[in-house]
Order: sequence, then structure tokens, then C-alpha cells
Amino acid sequence: MAEPSRKRLRTTPRNSEGPPDANAETPYNDPSTPNRRASSAGPTPGRRTPNIVVRTPGATARTPRGGPATRPISARRAAPTTPHAIRALRERANAARTPGHVRRRSGRIQRETPRDTLRALSRTLARGSQPLEPSPPSEDQRPRNPALDLPNIEDGPDPVVPRLSMPLDDMYEDNSFHDAPPRQSLLPDLPDDVDTGTMHSLEFGRRAYSEDPRAMFGARVSERFGDLNELGVDGEDFEVDGTFINRRRTLNADQLLEEAIDDVLDDTTTEIRALTGRRDGRQSDIDLGVFGEDLDDQDEPTFRFTIPQRIRAATTDEQRDVTQLDEEVFVGAEADAGLDVEPDAAAQVDEMSRGFEAVGWESDNDDGNDMDLQAYRDEASAIDRSLQTETESPDRPATADRRARRQRRELKLSKSGLEYPSFPSATVKRLASGLVKSQGGNTKISKETLATLVQTTDWFFEQVGEDLAAYAQHAGRKMIEDADVVALMKRQRQVTKNNTSFSLAQKMLPRELLQELRMEPVKKLKRQKRKRMETINEDEDED
Amino acid sequence: MPAQTLYPRATVKKIVKAHANRPLSRNVDILIFLNYALFMQELLKESRIQAKTSGERGISAKSVRKVREGVLRKFKG
Repeated sequence: MAEPSRKRLRTTPRNSEGPPDANAETPYNDPSTPNRRASSAGPTPGRRTPNIVVRTPGATARTPRGGPATRPISARRAAPTTPHAIRALRERANAARTPGHVRRRSGRIQRETPRDTLRALSRTLARGSQPLEPSPPSEDQRPRNPALDLPNIEDGPDPVVPRLSMPLDDMYEDNSFHDAPPRQSLLPDLPDDVDTGTMHSLEFGRRAYSEDPRAMFGARVSERFGDLNELGVDGEDFEVDGTFINRRRTLNADQLLEEAIDDVLDDTTTEIRALTGRRDGRQSDIDLGVFGEDLDDQDEPTFRFTIPQRIRAATTDEQRDVTQLDEEVFVGAEADAGLDVEPDAAAQVDEMSRGFEAVGWESDNDDGNDMDLQAYRDEASAIDRSLQTETESPDRPATADRRARRQRRELKLSKSGLEYPSFPSATVKRLASGLVKSQGGNTKISKETLATLVQTTDWFFEQVGEDLAAYAQHAGRKMIEDADVVALMKRQRQVTKNNTSFSLAQKMLPRELLQELRMEPVKKLKRQKRKRMETINEDEDED
Repeated sequence: MPAQTLYPRATVKKIVKAHANRPLSRNVDILIFLNYALFMQELLKESRIQAKTSGERGISAKSVRKVREGVLRKFKG
């Protein structure tokens, strides 16, 4: 504010006493500087901070309206001729125009906008006020949702104007789209053969979407799809539809008729939708019944169990060539045969697992491979397929039996009734061959010898376990500790005066295990040794 | 150093625990495995001697079977 007054001093000394803004429009000033002052008087007090005004004494500096082009003070000084100087001046001016302290809110004089006043009002009101609750709550929720969404959209960087003019129903549909069950992700998994018309027919399966209350719908979907998802049928909803339809055809004549109609209309989705619209809501739940509950209940568990596998096989058929699959089946059969011949125990175990899988998958394919394909090409032979599943279902118990036997063999029962695994034969073999080599013998250990060694190992551990238990009990402990093992080794005459457990460990064990042993505190070890001495004395006394 | 790699510690622990019906302290299984290694050494040594006396070349299952009862008795605490 000091600046304009000084300037006026220069031109018109009369005005220096009065406030500059008030005098700007006075008729006294008009002869000297009419235009500039009028222009500068308005904006300066509001926008300009006093700092800038002090730094730039020129009148032009005080007119921010002029913009960057008029900005240079070159008019006052000697005009810079070189482009470098021009640019430097311009840059300085720009820096002066948008410095940090102008942008900073705290330093600036806040101008009151209507928005600020509204904000302040809302802040003061927010304490006392409460959110409005409409008296019929259920009906009001619907329009409220999009209304709540609108401000979010507008706050975003690009406000979409036409949104407001859009019908509210559209907005609601958007919301419902997000809420919808994640079926869309399943669609890409559909095999290529399925045309897009059938993809749309997924809607056909859950037509209740538009008719049912929403909560009911969600619950029911989870119920139905839970069964299918357990069987691992995620992507093949359509196939499942197909099989279920086929299955029902064998059961019910009326539905056969309906499905025939469906087949006719299968190409166009619009017709299907018309069909679904024609049906009654309640009735359709049962009739549509791709996932009908009552029918599921009627089905035998074996049928349900086999269905997904054959479906999967069928889809793989569609993906590969039929010849390829045949080759694979052949190879699988060969491998099974070869494994059968092998007498090795481990190999047998492998064969078990392999065989289990093989029976589950490949043999099924073997029998019903072509049939499945046919059933997929035209739905006519679907009855055959359903018959097949029933004939093949007896295979299941056999495989389950095998698995149970395998588990039984793996886990043995000790005397105390606890299960324990058998000592791995690979470790026995490694240890034995290492020992034989150190003794300077022939390293080769035949399978029979190895089996005997493993058996002996089991016996040994049984014996050691019982001995250690007896020792721990004698010491009045529940837990088996190092002292017990040392005592046992003493009794075995493995640990003697000049042959401690540690020298033995050094001789026999790999370094990692030695480290583990040495990690224990030294005190404890010493105490053990003393104890050992005491026990020796006691033994001698007893003897 | 006969055993170059570690043995399955958890398995040994489980086996002994099942037989003894008692919990094992932390590093007992190492000592037990040491005992087992000594036992195997003894068993193989004896069976080798047995195989030699009966005129076989390597260690056979028969020789192990003949010897193991005595070795087990020797390692009975």
C-alpha cells in the first residue's frame, strides 16, 4: 500500500495524505495518471502481497491483469535486447508471479467464497444434526444408493456431466452389476465349441435373478453351486447344465419335452429369454431345474461323484485331438503294467498312487471316450452315458479300498497303541553302504539285504524305545533325555572310560548333527558325566 | 564319516516316541541315531564276518538274518 502512495507523491502531491484506493477515482488525479491508476487500484489490494509490491516499484508491476506478455519491466528499464536477457527477465517475472508463498494457504489472505461459507456452516451444523432417516426405510434405500454415488463421481477429476440426466434405473443397474455373483469370470473357461448363444444361456439357468428377491437369490445360488464346486466343476457350468438336462431326460418325460423345446430354441438367446419370461417364477425354479434340489436329492451319490470327471474328460477331448488322447491312454496302460511287474516295495507304493489316479481318469476315458464325444456332439446318446456311469460306479469302492490298505501299510501300531511311520529304507541303505565302505567291503547291498536291514532297524528302534522309556521312568522323569541314552549306551558297552559319547559322535555322525549336540550348554554335559559316574558307582554297589 | 547327509529327524523322533510312549527332549534323537549308527556298524561287521565264514562274497540277507538276533541282544540295555 505504501507504493501507490509514493507513486502518487511523484505525480500529484495532494493525494499523499489520503488513502490511495479512495483517491484513485477522485477527479484530482485524472489529469496526471488517469488510466493506470484506475486499473491498478482495483486488483492490487486483494491479490498482491506487500512483498512483491515493495520489490517492483514500477506501475506496470502492479498490474497483474496484463499477463506474462505485458509483464516485463523492460519498459521502465533499458529494454533487454539479447534473447537470453529477455528470457531471464521473463523467468524472473514468472517466478515472482507464482512463488511458493502465494500458493501457500496459510500466508494468503483467505477470500471468502460461497463454498467456504457453506463449508463452515456444515461444520457447525454437523455436530448437532443427525443423518436423515426416511420413515419407510426399505423403499427409500433404492433411490438413495445412486444419490450417494453421485457426489463421488463429481469429486473425481473428470466429472461426467450427463450422468445427472441419466435415468436413475440405469445407475441402479450399474450397482447391481457390481453386486452380481462372480459368474462372469467363469465364462472365458468355456470350451471353444460352445457358441456364444449358449454362453448367454447361462442367464437362462438363473432367470430368477430378475424375479426373486435378492437375498433369496444369493442364498440359493450358493446352495446349488456349492455341490458342483465341490466336485471341481468351476468353469463348465454349461456342460453341467447339459449333463443334468440329459440326466433328467431319462427320469422325466415331461421335462424331456421341455428340453426338446430348449434344444430347438438353443441358437438364439432372445427366444430363450422369451421362453423363460413365459414361465412362472416359482414353477420355473423347479422346472428349469438345471440345479433343481429335489432331483439332486434323488440322485445316488455315485452318480454325482462320477459326473464331473467324465465332463472334464469330455472337455479335454474337445481341446486335444482324439488320437492324441488315445495314445496317452495307451501309454498310461503300459506304465501301469510295467509297474505291476516290478517287485520293489517303493515302486508298488508308486503304482498304488498311480493306479488310483489312473483308474479314476484314464480307464473311464478308455471306456467312454468316443461315447462322450458323441454325447457332446449330439445330445441323443446322453442316455447311454448316464447308463455308463451307473455301470462303472462299482469301480470306486475298489480303489478306495486300495488306498485304505496303502495307508494301513504305511502306519504301524506300536505296543502302546501309537501309530508310527516306518524308517525310510533310503536312509538305511545310505548308512549301511557308508558303513560297509568304511569297513572295506563290497558296497553293493541287494534289495533283499536291505529289506532285512530295514526290518532289523524297526526291531532295534522298538527295543531302544522301550529301554529308554524304562530308563526315564526309573529316573522319575516323564521325558526321555540325553542321560537316558548315554546310560543305555553305557549298558551296551558302547560308552566306556576312554570312549565317551562325544568321541563316538565325532566318529560316526556328520558335522551338522555334532553341532546340534554341542549347542547344548557345557554345564549340562558335565553334569551328565558326573551322573554317569554316580550311576556306575551305584551299579557297582548293587552288583 | 559314514553318513554323509542328515537322517530324517522327525521320523526317528516319531518312531521312538511311539514305542516309548513318552516325549523326547530336544536333541535326544541325535544320540539315538548315534546309537543306531553304532548298531548298524556292529550288525554289518558281524554279518560280514558271517558271510565270509560261510563263503559268500558280499553281505547277504541270510547272513544278516543269522547275525541280527545276537547284535540286538548285545544292544539291549
